[in-house]
Amino acid sequence: MGPGGVWVVIPAYNEGPVIADVVEAVRASVPEVVVVDDCSSDGTREAALSGGAAVLRHPINLGQGAALQTGIRHALSRGAEFIITFDADGQHRAEDIAVLLDTQRRTGADVVIGSRFLGATENLPASRRVILKLAVLFTRMTSGLKVTDAHNGLRLLTRSAAQRIEIRQNRMAHASEIIDQIRRLGLSVAEAPVTIVYTEYSLRKGQRLSNALNILAELFIARVNK
Amino acid sequence: MIIQVLLISGLALCLVYAFLQRRKNRLVSRTLAVVSLAGIYLVVDPDRANEMAHLAGVGRGADLIVYCWVVISLMVSVNLQFKIMALGGDITELARALALQEANRSASAATPGLGAQDPGSSG
Repeated sequence: MGPGGVWVVIPAYNEGPVIADVVEAVRASVPEVVVVDDCSSDGTREAALSGGAAVLRHPINLGQGAALQTGIRHALSRGAEFIITFDADGQHRAEDIAVLLDTQRRTGADVVIGSRFLGATENLPASRRVILKLAVLFTRMTSGLKVTDAHNGLRLLTRSAAQRIEIRQNRMAHASEIIDQIRRLGLSVAEAPVTIVYTEYSLRKGQRLSNALNILAELFIARVNK
Repeated sequence: MIIQVLLISGLALCLVYAFLQRRKNRLVSRTLAVVSLAGIYLVVDPDRANEMAHLAGVGRGADLIVYCWVVISLMVSVNLQFKIMALGGDITELARALALQEANRSASAATPGLGAQDPGSSG
């Protein structure tokens, strides 16, 4: 069932309660799963191993962007042709990986971005919807890329795109950074409709408005620093 | 006066430090040397500071020195901030290299013959 050369990269920080289920669900269709444990303190590593994933562990906590980059580099070194990034908190559905792959096959795009606004959301709070829409607006204005969902952890990168994109925003600003690099590198983008399931767990671990402000600050500093 | 002795010895130490750093970072070393020498000069002859302050449109020499100090420390802070960010990038690369290396080691230990000499010895 799983097409050859597909790797799923899951950055995880203290996701012990859910990571094993997430890994198992993904491995039902894609066997090659690498979890990057960002120095968790709650047994995330053991849980991910028990789910059947390969586990890389950062010796210090670096942030989700850094964990993604580590996982991507590992997948590339193992000869991955397609790399799927997938969140650890159970908000994505494993079935949507096939949708991303299918979209890539149909369009030949370098990068496929999952969009909850083309697809569906379950239990998305209104306040969160407003923040996400603002984030999309911000991304469109600063990058000029017409995407409907900028901050979705579910994406597909082809090998060549993964080799060229270099995530340097260690913390949460990497989602905007990836979009920015896509535009600067001239990579082609397609969007695929995906479903985001908001559980009580994922909402508790998710982003808040104050974080959105931090992300803006990080991006601003990066731009000045360039 | 005691204050003059204290200030001059502090500035003299800065001068010595600038001299010791002359090969490592020429710009910082020279700037520090110039600032220290100017400081010593103004401590020895405070009326000069007053004259310069009046030229710059500031009331007192001491105020002028404080204002200059604020600007200099801001520049130093910004410089430090950039250094810290660069350091953070280096640490990220280091941590990533470690994580990848460990993964490679356990992978080769799991499949003997792919580079592992003695899979039994690994943890």
